[in-house]
Amino acid sequence: MKKTALNQISELAADLMRRGTLIAPVKEKAGFVFREISDAGRVDLNFYNTLMSPKSAFFPPTEDFVRYDKSKTVLDAEGVEPDLKPVFLLGVRPCDVKSFQIMDIHFSDTAPADPYWKKRREAATIFGYAFDVDAPADAADFYSTLKIGAADPEGSDIFMIKKGDQLLLKAVTPKGESLLSSLNGLAQAGAEDEKYFDDYVARGRNFKTRHACVEDGVIAKKLEDLFHKTEFWEKISDACLSCGACTFVCPTCYCFDICDETLFGKGIRRRVWDACMFTDFTLEASGHNPRTKVYQRLRQKICHKYSFHVRKYGVISCVGCGRCTRNCPVNIDIFSIVEKALKT
Amino acid sequence: MSFEPKILGIACNWCTYTGADLAGTTRLQYPQNIRVVRVMCSSRINPSFIFRAFQLGADGVLVGGCHPGDCHYNTGNLYARRRLAVAKKILEFVGMEPGRFRVEWISASEGNKFAEVVTEFTAQIQSLGPQTKFKIQP
Amino acid sequence: MSIDFRKIEDNLKKEARRLLEAQKVSLVLAYGKGFDENHPMPFVARNVSDVDCIVFNEYCSANLARYLVRYPRGTKIAVAVKAADSRTVVQLIQEDKVKREDLVILGIPVYGMKDPKTGEVIDNKTTCGLYNPVLYDVLLGEEVHGQPVLSPYDVLAEYEAMDQDARWAFWQKEFERCIRCYACRKACPMCYCDPCFIDQNKPRWGEKSPELPGNLMFHLTRFHHLAGRCIDCGECSRACPMDIPLYLFHKKIAKECEEMFGQAAGMKIEDKPVLINFRMEDSDKILE
Repeated sequence: MKKTALNQISELAADLMRRGTLIAPVKEKAGFVFREISDAGRVDLNFYNTLMSPKSAFFPPTEDFVRYDKSKTVLDAEGVEPDLKPVFLLGVRPCDVKSFQIMDIHFSDTAPADPYWKKRREAATIFGYAFDVDAPADAADFYSTLKIGAADPEGSDIFMIKKGDQLLLKAVTPKGESLLSSLNGLAQAGAEDEKYFDDYVARGRNFKTRHACVEDGVIAKKLEDLFHKTEFWEKISDACLSCGACTFVCPTCYCFDICDETLFGKGIRRRVWDACMFTDFTLEASGHNPRTKVYQRLRQKICHKYSFHVRKYGVISCVGCGRCTRNCPVNIDIFSIVEKALKT
Repeated sequence: MSFEPKILGIACNWCTYTGADLAGTTRLQYPQNIRVVRVMCSSRINPSFIFRAFQLGADGVLVGGCHPGDCHYNTGNLYARRRLAVAKKILEFVGMEPGRFRVEWISASEGNKFAEVVTEFTAQIQSLGPQTKFKIQP
Repeated sequence: MSIDFRKIEDNLKKEARRLLEAQKVSLVLAYGKGFDENHPMPFVARNVSDVDCIVFNEYCSANLARYLVRYPRGTKIAVAVKAADSRTVVQLIQEDKVKREDLVILGIPVYGMKDPKTGEVIDNKTTCGLYNPVLYDVLLGEEVHGQPVLSPYDVLAEYEAMDQDARWAFWQKEFERCIRCYACRKACPMCYCDPCFIDQNKPRWGEKSPELPGNLMFHLTRFHHLAGRCIDCGECSRACPMDIPLYLFHKKIAKECEEMFGQAAGMKIEDKPVLINFRMEDSDKILE
């Protein structure tokens, strides 16, 4: 185990920047965001959680696939290879680390695997960062309902816990171990620090955010039963604007669209984020759209995340990070929809 | 090699385009940088055409229509006047040089005016230089 | 004078109850409790029993008039509106999206509203700056008098003073951050087009990917589509997860439209929206 002073984080950042690309939280006008760091001094770990989830490190909002040139007599196309430099993700909260594992199900664990996601995942080393268990959780979070601990190290390569003005770093995987031992400028942690770390992880398991006792199977079945109860969904969707902001900030939403952007004969085929909340998401080539009403799209979103996903993959497609609720223009709370469904 | 501007001209069929024809038949000289597109009326112009033209590499956009009151369709250019004025204010506020977008009323008998306006406008764009703000870089 | 939010809430509940009991309306668009006190949600009351769930406090910033176009024409609706929201109703009536006789407008004179996401006070900097609704059937509180009359365009001075390259640098930085989530479009009460121009691909007006070219086409065209229609409620900017100051641009265009055409959006139901209207006396000076 190693440690460093929190106010010297820029040195760790600079070291990582020498070895590859560093993606870490920086403070911007709207809040904290994960950005590729060019100035080590800008890295700031004094945040609760970031505005956007770190999924964009592996699943960027725009991903180029194929470049083509229509002006030649034969269509000329070449694949675009993702950049394979090592990537370091610094300051990922446990719920977001868990989201990567859920997204792995779709992008690498089921065939055909997405080579872009896989390559980026393999090239990345994740520095997980525990929530502060001495402060109350944000009112919108509910990750303890989904059995995610405030200080769970699983899924990270290196896990970080704050101890006063110090930062403790412990390797969780062999990849993390080899990186941690090679980092300069970190002090060796003592036995007292090791104990603090283990206690903290245990406290994290007992730390309660907004909480409901939910068994995955129970909620999945309940939502299935409620699917055709239109009045329930209509009432739930009264305030929903169907804007898509929740989808874009969610760490486990992965819908995308493929589009060709051509200019004067040359172009790129790229993948861009899409949202089931958009009106034209299910618009078919015939012109028919099975989900024209807001309640249909909201029902789809909730059922996909808490019911269909459980049936297919055995896990709820949500990590309780609360970003959807915090960013919703009309303050809709996804957790309360689930609670209402359970009570109906 | 001095800079040759690419200028998009959108001309209404009944007045400006005919005026441009007149400039041609009377052998009036004007710079050839302008690429003229004919529309039936200046109110056909969607402000997105202007924004997109700049994105696709136009250094300047010149719109020509009938004089207000003389629209072939009675009122088209009166709507266009308002619509294009708003487009101009948008371009100005976002930081595009205002001299790059111009609207002129040129009638079918004003071949001289067409040649003059195009000459003046081309010179102005030449002095403003290539448009790089909106242009999509490949 | 300070605002008695409790009284407004009580009056809102009273009116909603009266209207629903007498079946004068099918639904009441109001506010309800969210996941905590500072995050109320828009709420639709359809029965008298729903009325108890209605709340009103300083965080009720959502513009409820945007839900009016969701219901079939002819539905009798009561809607709670603050100043800018009432202008939305007027604008929608001008555009014939709702009929005056189908609405019961419950006006809320208020100031000191707060943005639920940041806790910041909402004033003429980010919204239209009026205190009293411009159109209403019932007033749910005392008309506001004696508060400073501030121009909604004061905040533009700094940006109008910039030279065009500085302004371009500013907007380029802002629009590059747009992630194309379209929350602004859906939060806007005047964006009711189906399909929206940006969703069309014959022709494709703007690239889909969240990069500057497509973002510019989306936003600049949207500013144009809202010219003379935007009533400066500020919802678009509050909805934006990336905090892009869209209200600045909308205010600038609204200011120009007022100066060029002598009419502000959403003030009188007899007005015609400025871009579907003209006067022979419109000056050519506006094109300079």
